[in-house]
Amino acid sequence: METLNYLLQGFAVALTPENLMFAAIGAILGTIIGALPGLGPSNGVAILIPLAFSLGLPASSALILLTSVYAGAMYGGRISSILLNIPGDEPAMMTCLDGYPMALKGKAAEALAISAIASFIGSLLATIGLVILAPILAKFALRFGPAEYFALFTLAFATLGGITGKNPIKTVVAACLGLMIATVGVDISTGNQRYTYNILELYEGVDFIIAIVGLFAISELLFFIEMHAGEGFKKMALNKLKLSMKDIIQVLPTSLRGSVLGFIAGVLPGAGASLGSFLSYTMEKKVVGKSGYFGEGDPRGVAAPEAGNNAAANGALVPMLTLGVPGSGTTAVLLAMLISLNIQPGPMLFTQNAELVWGVIAALFVGNLMLLLLNIPMIGIFVKLLSIPPKYLMPVVTLVASVGIFAISNSPLDLYFMIGFGLLGYLLRKLHIPLVPVILGMLLGPEMEKSLRHALTLSDGDWTILWSSGLSLGIWAVAIAGLMLPYLIGPILRRRMAVQAEKTHSIVD
Amino acid sequence: MIGDRILGVVLLLLAVVYGWEAAMFPEPFGGSEAVGPETFPLILSVILGLSSVYLLVRPDEDEEWPHMKMLAELGFVLLVLAIFTLMLQPVGFVPATTLMVSVLCWRMGAKPLPSVATGLGSAVVVYVLFNFLLELHLPAGVLDLKGVLN
Repeated sequence: METLNYLLQGFAVALTPENLMFAAIGAILGTIIGALPGLGPSNGVAILIPLAFSLGLPASSALILLTSVYAGAMYGGRISSILLNIPGDEPAMMTCLDGYPMALKGKAAEALAISAIASFIGSLLATIGLVILAPILAKFALRFGPAEYFALFTLAFATLGGITGKNPIKTVVAACLGLMIATVGVDISTGNQRYTYNILELYEGVDFIIAIVGLFAISELLFFIEMHAGEGFKKMALNKLKLSMKDIIQVLPTSLRGSVLGFIAGVLPGAGASLGSFLSYTMEKKVVGKSGYFGEGDPRGVAAPEAGNNAAANGALVPMLTLGVPGSGTTAVLLAMLISLNIQPGPMLFTQNAELVWGVIAALFVGNLMLLLLNIPMIGIFVKLLSIPPKYLMPVVTLVASVGIFAISNSPLDLYFMIGFGLLGYLLRKLHIPLVPVILGMLLGPEMEKSLRHALTLSDGDWTILWSSGLSLGIWAVAIAGLMLPYLIGPILRRRMAVQAEKTHSIVD
Repeated sequence: MIGDRILGVVLLLLAVVYGWEAAMFPEPFGGSEAVGPETFPLILSVILGLSSVYLLVRPDEDEEWPHMKMLAELGFVLLVLAIFTLMLQPVGFVPATTLMVSVLCWRMGAKPLPSVATGLGSAVVVYVLFNFLLELHLPAGVLDLKGVLN
């Protein structure tokens, strides 16, 4: 009952004309960002943060704008999967398997419509799940002391590589680099200068928004140039939509199953949207059995992964909002947004900033409905945008990113930092060092060090406090498992994903 | 193989220098504590050091690195971005942006004329959007008409 009350208050925030407008802008921008190859959701949200920041939007509007972008990007990812056979982002990979064959058969419009409906169901159910689960988890998290938080931050890094991640040592390296960058600046509790070399601009530390934009957007530009990808890709034509009620009813059970699995995968640390869509697809194939024609354009093969990845994307907001521990790249970028608005996520968020949090959750419902409405009748416009060749698009995106960074403090130095981070991002990606742990390190570094200090002050310098309670022991166990599991089951899962992808390609070719 | 080995050496050096500097931090005002400003950096330095040794011993397969010509190309792109930054305040937003976007379009394979059109178009649109609609002032530079008119 209490929750329902809060939710109603949230709708009061989300339904003001101004916030409705921000949700609509976010939904449109998000769909475009998701649809364009080379502009994934983390990249897109990262570019928009400095803009939202320098416009001086109130916290709730800025968050509504960016969560709508996030939700929209999840919808948009499927467009390039279906029409180009190139996933806009990693979670959309499974949608290629049946989406592209459907487009080859001249059913591109049906594939897009079915995936939009499945995305809607996935997001809707997962947002309901978020409403139910988040307050419970927030209440539970109030029991966490500094030692538990320290363990929890470690857990976030350990599971970030994901079950499908390759080399866990490289995740560790990436996390260390991020945490090391976070230590630059004046130490908050003693006032000591650390790694500032008497450069005034470094006293406040390195701004993580600049780092995020550099690492993602500028390194992406370099990759596009290196791959000579300026010309764009061959696109399937869009036919006239012929969708009957029967077609929709046929994919409903699929979407429901996919949503539930996706939500669970999203909430669990380290699993994320990619695993959500993979699990939904594989399970659907098992459930349907012989009567399906998966890999050859079965509509259920489009609905399952789309419901799964949208549900997972919303599920991933649960640990981010309640614990302050993001489980994916994009939620890490959303966390950056919160921190730069001076809002510390965590269990207290639901009591101290109730209006804001519930406003954002309500905006997820509103945005989702808008996205469904946008994505069925207006799909043609988004499809047209796909034909803008990257050779014009990427320079303009780079411009928008630079303007955003420059507008934060009118300082050219920030732009030089951004270019430097772009080069660093390119080198790290070439060496297969994941970028998300670097960013997470920069974001969580200060909090992580603070909780270590608190814990050891409480215990008078006794290090065993870090693993003395049952709760913290449990978290450490999961963290260690999260780091080691990819070694054990990662190769198997990866091989299966590859086999799936290969099968469909051989049919397509 | 060689990529990860070089990375390992660089990271090991970084870990040593970073840790050594942390150990040299002056004692904070008010005496030392269980966790001083140096504790967390020292932990990081040890973890990074161990990981870099692992990379040296068991490096992964290399990604294909671009040849010299492409490296020069990428260096040129970074240089263009730096020149844009340098020009931004003294010369102004519109000329700097036109130059940056046009050159980038051209380097990505567009023909000269459409490149310049995209550059000039995006510069003017973004400038107008920011200065008049969003009221965020971008540097006008040499095109500051107000200065001439007054």
